[in-house]
Amino acid sequence: MPSTAALVSQAFNGLALGSLLALVASGLTIILGTLGVLNFAHGALFAVGAYTAFVMMQATHSFVLALLGGCAVMLIIGFAMERLVIRHFYARPDEDQILVTYGIGIVLVEALRAWFGGNSQRVPVPSWGTGATKLGFMVYPTYRLQLIGIVAALLVGLYLVLYRTSVGLVVRAGIENAGMVGILGIDVRRTFLFVFAVGIVAVGLAGMLYAPVVAVTPDMGATFMVQSFVVIVLGGLGSFPGAVIGGLIAGEIISLTSAFDSAYSEVMLYGLMALVLVARPQGLFGTEGRV
Amino acid sequence: MLFDRRKLLLGGAAGLILPGLARGALAQGAPLSPAQIGTFPDGVSADSVFVGLNMPLTGVFSGDGSDLKLGYELAIAQINAGGAIPAAWGLKGKGVLGRQIRYKVADTEGKPNVAVQAATQFVQRDKAILFQGSVSSAEAIALEELASRDKVLYMVGIAGSNDVTGKNCQRYGFRSQQNAYMAAKALAPVVAKALGKKLKAAFLVPDYTYGQTVYDSFAKFTKEQGWTQVLKETVPLGTADYSSALLNIANSGADVFINICFGSDAVASTKQAEQFGILSSMKLVVPNLSSFQDKEVGPELMQGVYGSCDFWWTIQDRYPLAKTFVETFSEKNKYKPRWGAHIGYMQTYLWALSVERAGGFNPVDVIKVMEASKSQPYESTVGRVYFRAEDHQMVRPIPILKGKAPSAMKGPEDFYEVIDVVDGESVMNPPDLFGCKLGSYT
Amino acid sequence: MRRLDPRSFLPELALLAVLAAAPLLLPPLGFSHDLLSRALNWALFGLGLDILFGLAGLLSFGQAAFYGMGGFVAAYLLVSGTIQSVWLALLVGTAAAGVLGLAVGWLAVRRIGIYFAMITLAFGQMAYFIENSPLSDYTGGENGIAGVPVPVLGFGAYAVRITAGLPMYALLAAAFFLGFVLARRIARSPVGLILKAVKENTGRVAMLGHDVPAYKLAAFTVAALYAGLAGAMLGPFQSYMPPDAFALETSGQLVVQTIVGGVGTLVGPLVGAALWLWLRDNLQLIPGFGPLWKLVLGLAFIGLVMGLRRGICGEILHRWRIRRDAARLSAAQARTEAIEAGAVAVPAVAEDVALPMPRPAIDGRDAEAEIAIEARGLARHYGGLKAVDGVSFLVRRGSIHAVIGPNGAGKSTLFKMLSDEVAPSAGEVLLFGQRLTGAGVTRAAQRGVAKSNQLNQLFLGLTVRENLRVAALARARGRFRLDLLLPGAGRPEVEAQIAAMLRLLDLSERAETPASVLAYGEKRRLEIGMALATSPNVLLLDEPLAGMSPSERVATCALIRRIGRSCTVVLVEHDLDAVFGLAQRITVLSEGRLLADGPSEAVRRDPAVQKAYLGAVQDDAAHAGEAVHEPA
Repeated sequence: MPSTAALVSQAFNGLALGSLLALVASGLTIILGTLGVLNFAHGALFAVGAYTAFVMMQATHSFVLALLGGCAVMLIIGFAMERLVIRHFYARPDEDQILVTYGIGIVLVEALRAWFGGNSQRVPVPSWGTGATKLGFMVYPTYRLQLIGIVAALLVGLYLVLYRTSVGLVVRAGIENAGMVGILGIDVRRTFLFVFAVGIVAVGLAGMLYAPVVAVTPDMGATFMVQSFVVIVLGGLGSFPGAVIGGLIAGEIISLTSAFDSAYSEVMLYGLMALVLVARPQGLFGTEGRV
Repeated sequence: MLFDRRKLLLGGAAGLILPGLARGALAQGAPLSPAQIGTFPDGVSADSVFVGLNMPLTGVFSGDGSDLKLGYELAIAQINAGGAIPAAWGLKGKGVLGRQIRYKVADTEGKPNVAVQAATQFVQRDKAILFQGSVSSAEAIALEELASRDKVLYMVGIAGSNDVTGKNCQRYGFRSQQNAYMAAKALAPVVAKALGKKLKAAFLVPDYTYGQTVYDSFAKFTKEQGWTQVLKETVPLGTADYSSALLNIANSGADVFINICFGSDAVASTKQAEQFGILSSMKLVVPNLSSFQDKEVGPELMQGVYGSCDFWWTIQDRYPLAKTFVETFSEKNKYKPRWGAHIGYMQTYLWALSVERAGGFNPVDVIKVMEASKSQPYESTVGRVYFRAEDHQMVRPIPILKGKAPSAMKGPEDFYEVIDVVDGESVMNPPDLFGCKLGSYT
Repeated sequence: MRRLDPRSFLPELALLAVLAAAPLLLPPLGFSHDLLSRALNWALFGLGLDILFGLAGLLSFGQAAFYGMGGFVAAYLLVSGTIQSVWLALLVGTAAAGVLGLAVGWLAVRRIGIYFAMITLAFGQMAYFIENSPLSDYTGGENGIAGVPVPVLGFGAYAVRITAGLPMYALLAAAFFLGFVLARRIARSPVGLILKAVKENTGRVAMLGHDVPAYKLAAFTVAALYAGLAGAMLGPFQSYMPPDAFALETSGQLVVQTIVGGVGTLVGPLVGAALWLWLRDNLQLIPGFGPLWKLVLGLAFIGLVMGLRRGICGEILHRWRIRRDAARLSAAQARTEAIEAGAVAVPAVAEDVALPMPRPAIDGRDAEAEIAIEARGLARHYGGLKAVDGVSFLVRRGSIHAVIGPNGAGKSTLFKMLSDEVAPSAGEVLLFGQRLTGAGVTRAAQRGVAKSNQLNQLFLGLTVRENLRVAALARARGRFRLDLLLPGAGRPEVEAQIAAMLRLLDLSERAETPASVLAYGEKRRLEIGMALATSPNVLLLDEPLAGMSPSERVATCALIRRIGRSCTVVLVEHDLDAVFGLAQRITVLSEGRLLADGPSEAVRRDPAVQKAYLGAVQDDAAHAGEAVHEPA
């Protein structure tokens, strides 16, 4: 049995891990909820975000500028994807959307590989985030501490956009009933374009913020995508609070299991998912009837 | 020679059910080898032979795969061109026995299944006389199996697991890289001498067979040096975030952090370890340094790291063949060759040498030459080497490296100092330790 | 034994010819025997996915779990020496995959579409992790299992080892052929038809009384068995069982290949696999191309999903069918246009309603019950909104009973509670004195409560006959039956029921017409007919006259009256003239509450009813003329 201090440390770490998953999953979930599209290219876009940070860092030597530039790039990619491909799939079955985004994922990953090669790229921790901070009961990387704050701020920002603006109202109404929004004469297409791009920026930002932490390789996104799927199943389809809480729960599961045996952290995560499916198939925050 | 080839063949062939092709040859009395076996002699034309190259060009191992590919291609180009470089290895004229090497490269995506698929195509379609390459033990094991089934020679690329020349060893497979046991046994005394005898060690072990093998070997040999293990953190393969495991390691009070992760796992875990302050409070030992870890992690983090490697380019100061290799390779490809490139380069030459020694491409003859190489070792890029007859593991020197501080680097790729080159003979496992049983020649 | 049409075996014979000719003709094009064998292994694996996705519409991204399970169980048993016979090991491996399929499927079929894909993908990853770490002592972890023996045919001196090359090709071809024959029978069985219907409209299949999750689970398990067998054969095929059998990319590649080949065609997986493997081999050989092969194939895949959405075989088959059916279809369309233009006289319902198939028995002491349906204090709240609030009424057996009320009165919600589609927040429904509420819509249907919907819920891709067959099969076979190998049209009582329904609905001429092509009035009739084809005790009709022309209304009213002679009918309708003409008793709702309940005449004179209706009468009058009704 691990010590209390170890458990507390892991619980804290779970928060950090979970906040990242929450960001990745919320990008996935607002696209899913509003547009009804499950974006299988989400993992690839996470990698694209990280590589964008890499390129921007080399160009600007400033992490903040890299983030801003990266957001612009992700926004453009999001617009392009929606206009060129996704738009033609709203009226088609869910499965077609899954297939086409899966194809886009392959193409993006291989394009990264063709461009940058298979070896990992280095994105340094920003100068204000180096070193480790003593938190009394443990030592924790400064950058990760900051990440919790940054991600929390981003999630709050996303919340405000979704719940406190007129666009957000349309988005949430769209989640409830896309057809009805169209009947009301609101230009759903522009809203959809906006929402898709926001979702892509969210996952891209997650990739950028995590680039200094993980190995930046073309295949880096796969794990995060699968985990964000689990988060969505836990939290409930299209639910923004579900994605956030689901992300935190997933982070805690992974981290707390590690206090006992890290090898089982992933398996435990899937185990929890199975449990939720049995007990509450619509997810913790999902509404009944939506499948 | 230590033993008579003829006796060995007869001994090896006794009691075996032979495929129809070989039967005629043996019936004649005591020929050295079957006249027809595998792709021999179909795959040997008057002026050329075909060699198949398998390596991951996509997927998580694609970085090492590309390096490996360049090594093969350089060696083949040099051998085909002839001249001073192949002559220095002991080859005569252009090509191998006057035949040019044709080759194709197949992407295995790092999947053994695809590797088998690609290699089978080389054998069936191209009548390959040899196929080479792998960037994981799994690929190597799968391809060895195929080689022995189809009776075509296979030279393992990058693969560290003991099983490759242990329980999964095959008559038709040869490995030039050291195994996990050798690496650990070579490295442990050197680091113990450098860092101290009574240290507490924390291990980060990727949870797959290779990781566990390296852990077992390294834990055993560091224990013999007086180290105690205070923590073993096992993490799933391909983990992106190691924070939970590193948190435990950071709080373990260990003196040494032994990171067994490989490839991009090693990059991510090392970066994160630094962020947890582990690298400033503990010494980092990486039993097997991955090919591009230096560059991917950066010298700031890699300084002071101890590890073993197949090859490091500054070793060229010790071996003339290595010098030629490093120079020609970096001239052509604009970077210093790594582990993969070296394996590919070296073993292509060793095969060509063995063919010339055997006087033909018959795989049985070539295998026997390689098995007999202890008595007639090869001069190579890492000095004098030979293949063990019992398990086809190369007995070879192992470089022990230490990461240089950025200020001490004499060039952009001068990441390591070669602190020792451990003699291979002294670190070999007993040939039967990992249950090797080579199959029949025919 | 039924008459066998040799033409119906044409696909099998053609496949046999192709499989026999391929190893002779294709190698010069770069299809070596190994590549063909591999394609066959993928194709066998893909047949399962084709049944799951092509037939039932369930897209799984976790098939690798079953492929790996079958493969590793078989390989472990053989290499460890637990089992000597390769054949037995194949069987055990397949069965193990089936068991895993049952377990994963039990969880996964709770959700469809997007969710289903995510869940299967996540479970696939879980299997991969478990194989790689906790079970690595058995699976060899990332190294896989080497030295898997090849199967031996015959005994002793006559034993023939099925070695790599042609013999192994023959074995894999035989396995694929049998798999294909089996898959085709499954597709044409009642289960196959029901799965097709599930793909078209899951909700309606459940309303007709089929246990949808059980059928989906069956499809999932069948797919897992196919994957397991293919996986189990992989080890002996290359004397090595690769760990990447479990990888996510294996599932992905399978999906891609099957889509490229054409889903729902059963040969698509083979064509897709052969093409994909061939392209991947040959693209790499283009000088300077190397690792770009995957990028190019990825782009090609996107193009295919956008443009040729049916895949190669699917597209060919589709065009061929269009040509074959062109005349029939245009004739059907012409008739539809004629009906909609009012050029075809609306037929009078000539016969009495006598359905060949028996209604579900009402057991024991309730057999004589006077009351067919009793609603007791039914309420349904959506958040703060009380759609239905404490409604009680009785429906007499053998009567026609109407529920009316202004828009928003809660009629549709009430109806959904009567058929147990929607669970009440409070109260219960009794059917012949037995509690119905809580059983779910499928059990309710099996107990004889059928419902036709306000908005048509037909299986648009199926023919009229097939639509009715799905309905009738629910009565004939019960909630669930695994008659995978019986022909779909193999039950005489079902066929008789369909024939009777076709006559009753005056759709005999349209029997082979896809439901999508029907005229609106015909679709409405079919909607009602499907409910009736289940031989119900109680028929619930939700706005049966919605959108009909005046002459169609008359005909439909006559039909309902006839149905009412042998079956209890409850209907919701806006057309008050029709309601007063049809119903013996009427229940009036207003704002979710019971306003009045009684004999038709009494309700008509009820001042409260008049008052409630006056308020909404303009509204309602406007409504009656529209083609599509908003939910009430």
